[in-house]
Amino acid sequence: MVSPVVRLTARGVVARKFRILLTTLAVVSGVAFVSGAFVLTDSVKAAIDNLFEELRGDIDLEVRTTIAFGDEARGERDPVPLSLLPEISKIEGVRLVEANLRRSATIIKADGEPLKVSGPAFGIAWDGPDGLDGRTLIAGTAPKGTKDVAIDKSSAKRAGYEIGDIVTIVGPTGKDQFTLVGLTGSGNTNGGGGASISAFNPDTANDFLGAQDQADSLLIGVLPGFSLSEVQASIAEMLPESIEVITGVQAAKEISGSINDVIDIFGKVLLGFAAISLFVSAFLIFNTFAIIVSQRLRELALMRAVGASTQQIRAMIIGEGLIIGIIATGLGILGGLGVAQGITALFNAAGAAFPTAGLTLSLRTILVSVFIGIGVTVTAAIVPAIRASRIPPVAAMRPELGFSALQRNKRLAVGLTTLLFGITLFSIGLFVQPGGAVITLASSAIGAVMLFLGVASLSTTIAAPASRLISRILPMPFRPMTRSVPGRLASRNAQRTPRRTASTASALMVGLALVSTVSVVAASVKKSFTEQLQSSVTADFFITNLSFQGLPVAFAERLDALDELGSVSPFRATRALVNGEEKQIGAVKPEMGDIVDVGVIEGSIESLAEGKLLLHRDPARDLGLGIGDSLDITWQNGTTATLIIGGIYTEAAVAGNWLISLETLSQASKAPPVDFFIGAKIADGVSIEDARAAVEKVAEEFPSAEVQDQSEFQKSQEDQLNQLLAIVYGLLIFAILIAVLGIANTMALSVYERTREFGLLRAVGMSKRHLKRSVRWEAIIVSVFGATLGVVVGIPLGVSVAMALPDSFVTTTQIPVNTIVAILLASIVVGIVAAIFPARRAAKLDVLAAIATQ
Amino acid sequence: MDMTQVASYPAAAALNASKIYGKDDSEVRALDDVTVDFQLGHFTAIMGPSGSGKSTLMHCLAGLDSLTSGSVCIGDTDLAQLDDKQLTTLRREKVGFIFQAYNLIPTLTALENITLPMDLGGLKPEQEWLDTVIDAMNLRNRLSHRPSELSGGQQQRVAVARALASRPQIIFADEPTGNLDSKTGAEILTFMKHAVTDLHQTIVMVTHDPLAAAYADRVVFLADGRVVDELSEPTSAQVLDRMKRLGN
Repeated sequence: MVSPVVRLTARGVVARKFRILLTTLAVVSGVAFVSGAFVLTDSVKAAIDNLFEELRGDIDLEVRTTIAFGDEARGERDPVPLSLLPEISKIEGVRLVEANLRRSATIIKADGEPLKVSGPAFGIAWDGPDGLDGRTLIAGTAPKGTKDVAIDKSSAKRAGYEIGDIVTIVGPTGKDQFTLVGLTGSGNTNGGGGASISAFNPDTANDFLGAQDQADSLLIGVLPGFSLSEVQASIAEMLPESIEVITGVQAAKEISGSINDVIDIFGKVLLGFAAISLFVSAFLIFNTFAIIVSQRLRELALMRAVGASTQQIRAMIIGEGLIIGIIATGLGILGGLGVAQGITALFNAAGAAFPTAGLTLSLRTILVSVFIGIGVTVTAAIVPAIRASRIPPVAAMRPELGFSALQRNKRLAVGLTTLLFGITLFSIGLFVQPGGAVITLASSAIGAVMLFLGVASLSTTIAAPASRLISRILPMPFRPMTRSVPGRLASRNAQRTPRRTASTASALMVGLALVSTVSVVAASVKKSFTEQLQSSVTADFFITNLSFQGLPVAFAERLDALDELGSVSPFRATRALVNGEEKQIGAVKPEMGDIVDVGVIEGSIESLAEGKLLLHRDPARDLGLGIGDSLDITWQNGTTATLIIGGIYTEAAVAGNWLISLETLSQASKAPPVDFFIGAKIADGVSIEDARAAVEKVAEEFPSAEVQDQSEFQKSQEDQLNQLLAIVYGLLIFAILIAVLGIANTMALSVYERTREFGLLRAVGMSKRHLKRSVRWEAIIVSVFGATLGVVVGIPLGVSVAMALPDSFVTTTQIPVNTIVAILLASIVVGIVAAIFPARRAAKLDVLAAIATQ
Repeated sequence: MDMTQVASYPAAAALNASKIYGKDDSEVRALDDVTVDFQLGHFTAIMGPSGSGKSTLMHCLAGLDSLTSGSVCIGDTDLAQLDDKQLTTLRREKVGFIFQAYNLIPTLTALENITLPMDLGGLKPEQEWLDTVIDAMNLRNRLSHRPSELSGGQQQRVAVARALASRPQIIFADEPTGNLDSKTGAEILTFMKHAVTDLHQTIVMVTHDPLAAAYADRVVFLADGRVVDELSEPTSAQVLDRMKRLGN
């Protein structure tokens, strides 16, 4: 026999299925977000592992220089001398040795424009289709002559070339013309997966790609029948120090692992937003259950009267939560597959090339989704369940006694304690920053959650007076809401259940508080950055690279030779170990002083020419360094240097925290240099138009370069920040949508509850329009209340975060008044939207039937 | 009065029961030193004007509400000694309820409503008795209906059947006919009377309707929280007469 609690629970859910539907929807979206994040990262990672395993081709071993620290896949390696190649070929068991050379090379299309690619544009050394890298020849021949090139089929097609055409290609040493002799593919595809690949014979590649008899690495194929590890050992024996031999499998793993690290971060960010959505959903679930419990007061009291125990009542309500949780989790996991596909499609449309592969739904994804989906629903149902069990049986006959039990109020103290604890934890996380990034983040996050819960709890106390105030001042331009009957009713209705008004508003509060926080931080970062840029940048032109590959060094040399320009300095970067920590170090010419004013407060920029180090005052202070002090540095290739401090500066927006000269860099690193960007100043007496024309003319040969003047540069930097912000806001919208759902849900439940009251109002002559307006006003009051709370909570949060960020990010804190006003105005719209369905329902009530309802 | 019943405990009793709401100036004495008992196998009506304390007396007797002073017993159990858990069990096993309205759980069928108290206690209903009750209430062909599919009178009959089903020591009815038309009301009262005389149950009914009270074996009159009068084997005319005097 089914236990009566189970039966009542199941019947309860079925009887209230429409009221519960919206609640379920909220949980579904939260769970879908969580499982979507997992499915996406799992699928993409699996695809990337496969891709690189496939790309490995027949490479059994790889010889490369070692790095002293950092990520193996992304480290800057010195090249390997080609002189090793014949020696390795002689080793027993070695089938084939190839030079792996891969430098930037842009194809100029038949129409004269550079070919744009979503991935990198590479030029490579290629022996032909029998080589190790898995490159196939789809048509034509391999490039044997010095003026031959083979291009991947899809790029050749997009560039408008056929075999036999003359193709212009721009490499690190400049541009040249080649005859297209072959079309290549990779594996069984027509191209390089978003990249363009121009293959030259090794000698041509050595010259044209500026390799100077060196290669990025040597690729080795082993004869069948020989042990890989034995061949590896005998190669290792003959290699000079600081050159290593690894297996092809390991190399592939390093690359995919390094990419997967990025995917993981992406997944964690998604999970963070999923957590926010779920947190907001919890409010919605809590609210629905609280309202349903009060609506079922007499039924629950009757059950108590005929002998249901408090435990049975609790079990019943929590059981309803469990059923909703199970259904929603099931749907959510399915939804997650959709979310993963949607995000992939979205990012691919935006230009990111996520490899396509089947969706991976792992057991871990299912378990986590089940745990979170059911956990959140059941947790949110606990408090309403406890309150339900407190309903005294006598309420079956005297409901007013039951309502007083439901309204027991201890929340002021609890709310205040939670709030203070939350603020403390948040501040500790932010300003004391104990135990590294993870604990800092965790304690700030938990602090913020408690802070939100505290505010939500306290907001019950102010819900009634706040609703009154909002209804008085809101429609200022017209006439106070309280002057009309619908307005007055709306205001009173919002006041009469402050608990409901508060918890409904709280869901919106959380979403909008986060939006306000982000907007304050973003405005502060933007303002600080702009201020630093404006005060420090004196360059007339910046030349940046569109494809993040960097600019060929030849470009800066060509610009330097122009008469129209004065000082020109490229910005390069390298990584080094300073005091045990990995740092990015910028390399410039001493002339950079004319281009960017880094605000030297001690020493001079010219000291760069003496091989000295310049650093920002923050690390100088942290390490206790002054002018003339020396600092030991380990470069990535393992060589070390002791650098003397030649200057200390204050502006890090462009230059970063550490600066050395190009000469110091070239002594340290033999890796092929690329310039991140180039700054240039116009020579005296030259007009900006003439100078620009001269720069643009040089730039024609380097199609990936983009020439910007000062304001364009500033704008492009801000655009990047705005793009990031757009993604953050976009993800927060989910949380806000759930909050809107919550308001709609509460209003719908209230309308249901007030059926009789509305019937009465209609009977004594209230029109449908008035009734609708009343419902709408109430929703607006609730959402404006929530938005106000959100802004009030979010601004201080944002200011604290901005203050906690290091000076190199934020120097000035700014509150974006426009954004805040927009949030408040938008909340009115939110109220109107949320009320659409409930208002329609209220207006549809049959007057007679409504009055007859008990 | 039958001697064998006097020797045993009454079905329910109140001894010096007082119930005070509010404090100081706003103090309301809902019950003022009430001593009364209800014998097994009897159908007793409690009458009185609005605010006389009749509902409060019943709530306290049934363990739904607690006294300020004095004591109430169901059988030989002093309710003041019980915690919430024991009170719940007592309500489930020893007491039946019939309310004016909201008697049934809307999501359960008539039969499920009838067996609800036993189901909640994990007890198996006695099939023979259950059949007797169902037939006595003439509900045989309504068992699978939901409350919304039943008429007001049928709903009240289900409520009576539920109260009887666990064979409780005593059944409390709070204005059981208050929401019904007079014909249906009379029908319910006949069923209740039948339960007392033929099925040997004990019912205490709160009502303000002299016609309803006339179905009882005994009427206890309350005014201002005190027992002021009582009648045995009343007629509606007698009850009406007493009520008129109380009103003055």
